[in-house]
Order: sequence, then C-alpha cells, then structure tokens
Amino acid sequence: MKTVKVQAKVNQELCTGCRTCERVCPVYAAELVKEDKGFHVEIDPSLCVGCWNCEQRCPEHAIAMVACEPFDISTDVSLYDYGQIKELCRKARFHPKQLVCYCTATRAEELAAAILGGAASPEALVRATGVGSGCGIECNQTILRFLEAAGVAWERKKGSYQWMGRTMTNWEVPAEVKQKYAGFRFDSDREIMDRIVQAPVEP
Amino acid sequence: MYSKPLPPAPTRKSQYGVDPSLVQKRGAELSNITHVPLSELIPDQPSVIYPSARGLAAVRSETEAALAKVDMSMISEGKTVNILASHHGFTFLGGEPYAEMLRTIKDVVAQRTKAKEVRLRAGLGMRFRETEEYIKAFKLDEYFNGKAQGMAPIDAGIPIETSLGTLYGLKRAYDADFIIHAHNSDVREVHFHRQVDRAVKPFGMSYARCETRSTYHMNLGPRAANFVARAIFESPFVQSKFAFAAFMIMSPAGAVTVDADNDLYAINDRTTVGGMKNYGKIIHLFGAVDDCIVILDFPCPVPYVFASGVIYANMVGANIDLFDLDNPLPPYTWYTETYYREGGQPLIPDIPPVNPAIKAVVHNYAWVGYPAVFFAEHTPTIVVGQEQAELFNRDPMNLNYMKHALLADNLDAAMAFAYRTTGTDKVMIFDGASGGLNVSHSLADLLRRVAPGVNEKVDKVLLPKWLAQRDIDVQLLDQVA
Ligand code: SF4
Ligand code: SF4
Repeated sequence: MKTVKVQAKVNQELCTGCRTCERVCPVYAAELVKEDKGFHVEIDPSLCVGCWNCEQRCPEHAIAMVACEPFDISTDVSLYDYGQIKELCRKARFHPKQLVCYCTATRAEELAAAILGGAASPEALVRATGVGSGCGIECNQTILRFLEAAGVAWERKKGSYQWMGRTMTNWEVPAEVKQKYAGFRFDSDREIMDRIVQAPVEP
Repeated sequence: MYSKPLPPAPTRKSQYGVDPSLVQKRGAELSNITHVPLSELIPDQPSVIYPSARGLAAVRSETEAALAKVDMSMISEGKTVNILASHHGFTFLGGEPYAEMLRTIKDVVAQRTKAKEVRLRAGLGMRFRETEEYIKAFKLDEYFNGKAQGMAPIDAGIPIETSLGTLYGLKRAYDADFIIHAHNSDVREVHFHRQVDRAVKPFGMSYARCETRSTYHMNLGPRAANFVARAIFESPFVQSKFAFAAFMIMSPAGAVTVDADNDLYAINDRTTVGGMKNYGKIIHLFGAVDDCIVILDFPCPVPYVFASGVIYANMVGANIDLFDLDNPLPPYTWYTETYYREGGQPLIPDIPPVNPAIKAVVHNYAWVGYPAVFFAEHTPTIVVGQEQAELFNRDPMNLNYMKHALLADNLDAAMAFAYRTTGTDKVMIFDGASGGLNVSHSLADLLRRVAPGVNEKVDKVLLPKWLAQRDIDVQLLDQVA
C-alpha cells in the first residue's frame, strides 16, 4: 500500500516548458498545456502518486513536493478469486506472497488482483497498487511481466521516457548463453526461483 | 591503554540527509570508543596513495602514469568523448580523489587527442540528483566547460541489442562517439555482484535505464543477474564506442593506485583478485563479531555507510561467506528481500537470516533515497532525532521505515537504550573513518584476538576457493596490489 502524503506542484514562473516532467511521470499525471501566448504545466492531483520523479528531474527546479490530504492506494485482494490470483502470479513467475515493491511493501497477489480488477497498463497498475511510485526503478519489469502474463496489450504514451519494454527473464535465457557463460550460474539460480514460485501459499 | 577514536568522515549537506547542524554528536564522540588501525588487524594491506602526504597530487600523477599505457588513437580529430562516472566514487575519502581522477582523465584526453569535446556523464543509484550535488561540490561543471551532467535511470533511454535480447541504456551516456569508463574497484555491493564482473557492473546499473536495472534485481536471479552488465558491454553498440577504462583502485585503507586499460576484462580480473585479497579479510573479520550494536553515522543511505571501507550491507550478510558463489543467496539482496512473507517467515527454508550478531542499530546519521525498510524490519533500529524520522516519513522509498524503528531524542539516549536492551557493550561505528575502525574497547579486544585466525583462513582456505570459482589464475594474486 502506498500512502500518498505529498504531490507535485509546479512553479510556473520557473518553468521553461521542457516537458521533462511529462516524460518521466510513470502515470502521465504531468502535462504541458499550450496556450495562445505561452504554456503551463498541469499536474492532475487525481493521478499524481507522489513519486518525486518530476521534482527530481526538472532542470529548472520548478517543481516542489507539497503536503496533500493523505490518501491510500491499494487493491483489496479479498475481492478477487484467489485461484485466479495464484494462477496469474505463477504465470508471471512470482509467488503470490512474494514482495514485488520494496518501497510500498506490495505483494505479487495485489498486482494480480489489480489486473483482475481491470488495470490494463503499467500506469494503471501503479495507480491501482502504488507499485512503481517509490524508487521508480526496481519493480519496472515485475509490472511488465504481470501485464504480459495476463495477456494485456498496452501502449506507451508518445514522447514518454517510461515503460520502454519487457526484458528477458532467467526462464528465457538462450541455451548457448547459459553454456558459454556457465560461471553466472543461470540454472542454479533458476532452480531457486522455481522453488520460490512453487512454495505453498500458506506457511 | 586504548587510543583515541579516528575522526569520522564529515557530514555532508544534501537534500537526502538531515542538515549537518542537526547531527549534534557523532558516534566517535561517545565514551568508551577507541580505534583499531587496519594495519594492526590486517598487516598485509597495500600502502595507499590517498590519504597520504602527497595529497591529491598523488592521484593526478598515478592517473597520468596509468593513462600513459593506454591507446587513445581511436579518438580522432573532431570526435566527442563521454567520461562515464558513478556516484560511488564520490563517497570515498570525501570524494576529492575520484573527482581528481576524472579531471585528470579529461586533461590527458584533451592533450593527447584532438577530441572536439570531452564531457562528464555521472550516473547514480536511486537519488536522482546525487551526482548533480557532487558535480557542484567539486566544481566539475566549470572544469568540463559546462559539459558535466548527472544522469538518472528514468532519463531518456536507448535500446541496446544484446545476447540477452533488448536491454536499455541511458541515451545521455552514449551520446558521444566514444566512452571512457571511469570507475573504482571498491568491493562495496558484494552482496549483489558477488565479485563477479565487478568492473563491468555500471553498464547494467548507473549507465542503464530502470528496465535494465530491474532486470538485474528481479528477472535473472542473485548470481545470474551479473550477466546483464556483460551482455550490454559486449553488445556491438557499446563495443563501437568503448575507448578504455580507468579505475581508482581501492583498499579498506584508502586509494591504492589508478589502473587503466583498453581491455576492460583485464582490469576486471585484476580488480576481482585485488578486491578479494584486500576486502576478504576485513569482511570476514566483521563476520567473526559475535554480538554488537551498530551505529550508522555517514552521509549515505543505510546500507552504504562505511566502516574501514566496508559497507553496512556487508555486515548484514557477514554471517555467511559472501564471496563464496556456492552460497546462492546472501542474507541481504533484493532477491532475498522479496522471499519473505509479510509476517517475516521465509518462503523457502534455505533463506539465510540477517547477521544475528547485530543486536541493535543506532541510526545516528544516514540518508534516505534507498528502500531501507528491510534493515529496520530485521534488526531493532533506533533513529536519532525527529527531523531524521520526518525525512524518512516523506521519502517515497522509506514510507514504512519508521513503522519498524524507534525514535530517540539524541545519540546518548539511543545508546543507553541499546546497551540496556541488548546486553552487549560491543559497538561498531560505520562512520567512514579513514585507516581504521572506530569501535568500543570490548570490540577492539575481540577484533585483535580473532584477526590472526581470520587472516590465515582467508589466505590459506578461502582465497584459493574464491579464485577457482571464478576461474582466475592464482598467480594473479602476486601481481595485484
Ligand atoms: S520539467 Fe520543469 S521546466 Fe520542464 S516542463 Fe516540467 S516543470 Fe517545466
Ligand atoms: S510526483 Fe510522480 S506521479 Fe506526481 S506528477 Fe510528478 S512524476 Fe507524476
């Protein structure tokens, strides 16, 4: 669960309209709006998950994170069929109880539940669970693996830097790579990851 | 008679830490603290060029000497060059030595080639403005004529075709005709890289997009992950740009020399061996500590605070041999962290626990900007100062940290509580003190007593095993500082 305590606010005086904020936002909450004479950046508070990406990358230091009325982002796993949740987690090669986001303590089962609840893009999964709104780095592939396992086709917003694509997992590494670079112990690591995926749901 | 503690590394003004004025007392100012010189614990440490009486001039001359052996003929007239750096280097010895190595590389390349432009591109971990802060602090933008930039893993990316399929680098890292990989050999994240391709790692990390970094930490497994960097480095795209590498060679006592080569894998072998030789003993010595209170007291996020060149994350895993590749999962890695259930039970029985010798952690001064809740969940943690707690409460990566940590008004109160509840009087301070270790008298006694046995075991049993696991010729041991 993510508790959003701060949201982005733009100082329009400092903004040069470079669109960096728009491009680094994982949920497309920042938008440069053109006007007759000039432009301004709008942050949609109903979308902003308080990830700090825009504040950290704005070259003009024009964005501040300001306190907002705190609100929680999470999906209630109990509303969905646990058999389907389990199946989707295992297809994405995660254990349902496995941690998938270090920053928000989100577990795999919640990502599956959010997809069953209709989240059909990376940004929708972030909005539904809070994953990807902390460091913005490590759960990137987890999100994309879940969407692929669910058979969800999604498109990147034009011009965005985010969500470039899913990359290879251990289960897909070509045999010749594993053979040539045996010192990296692909198979032994895969054996551990398989045991994690297959571990019982209850301890 | 115990000697005085060493001066701790100074606090640093940063958006990622509390204001230095709020750090009212350092661990080294506590009573009962002494220092043990590294040379006493590990007599065969290499001599260092920094810190030394020669100052930064030593870094400059060693860099020049190392670069003299490097071929730069590929950088022909009118070409552009990016010197690729990483934030880690700036966390050593106050940061100036690494900054000086970068300045020297720039000067030598400008002098020996007719490059149109030599720029600095400094990658980072998870604090997206951290290298901007270093660039400013060390006036590197002026030195690079306005061409020094930080780069973050959410910046514009570039697809790179590799033997692992498409991976993603940072566009700004590769927006020159040639790249120079300017790094360091500090063992640092051995829990992640396991001293496998240590010298290559930034290609999959600080020069890479978040998709690639997530591949490393989520997709491949704790040891196989290290192939990500090699896959990118060996890609035709990166090979077409790679000119050479220059490394500040580190030991727990400081900077030993500068190594440079057109062959990154030659540096990789040397740093692999040197790292195991110079850090293997101190990390194993940490593993021999039976119980202690740890004080975090350095301008870095929780796992990265240093004691005698070793980061706290290594102490967290020092109950197993982190260099031994037959141990698949260290007690702390991002794979291990995900393998615990919400209630703290491991998903499979063979998850090694966090080092049980750490009885309590007193968080006197450490930064946000790295997901650190795992450490507070697994070890009793006392944070000093409301302001520091508030900083963690605001940090999107640490929203839950204070849910697991206690708060103390000041360092003395935190220590009094830690002594009383743990029953140990052994204290280990991660404060970046140079040349030795600030510890309590009792821990100094223990370290002195066990060090000879640890040194012998590493030399006779462990080093040969580690080298064999990595297919590295044992002869290299004698050739490397
Ligand atoms: S990143 Fe900053 S300067 Fe650029 S458009 Fe956004 S607010 Fe304006
Ligand atoms: S804080 Fe994050 S979610 Fe909010 S507008 Fe900025 S980039 Fe988007």
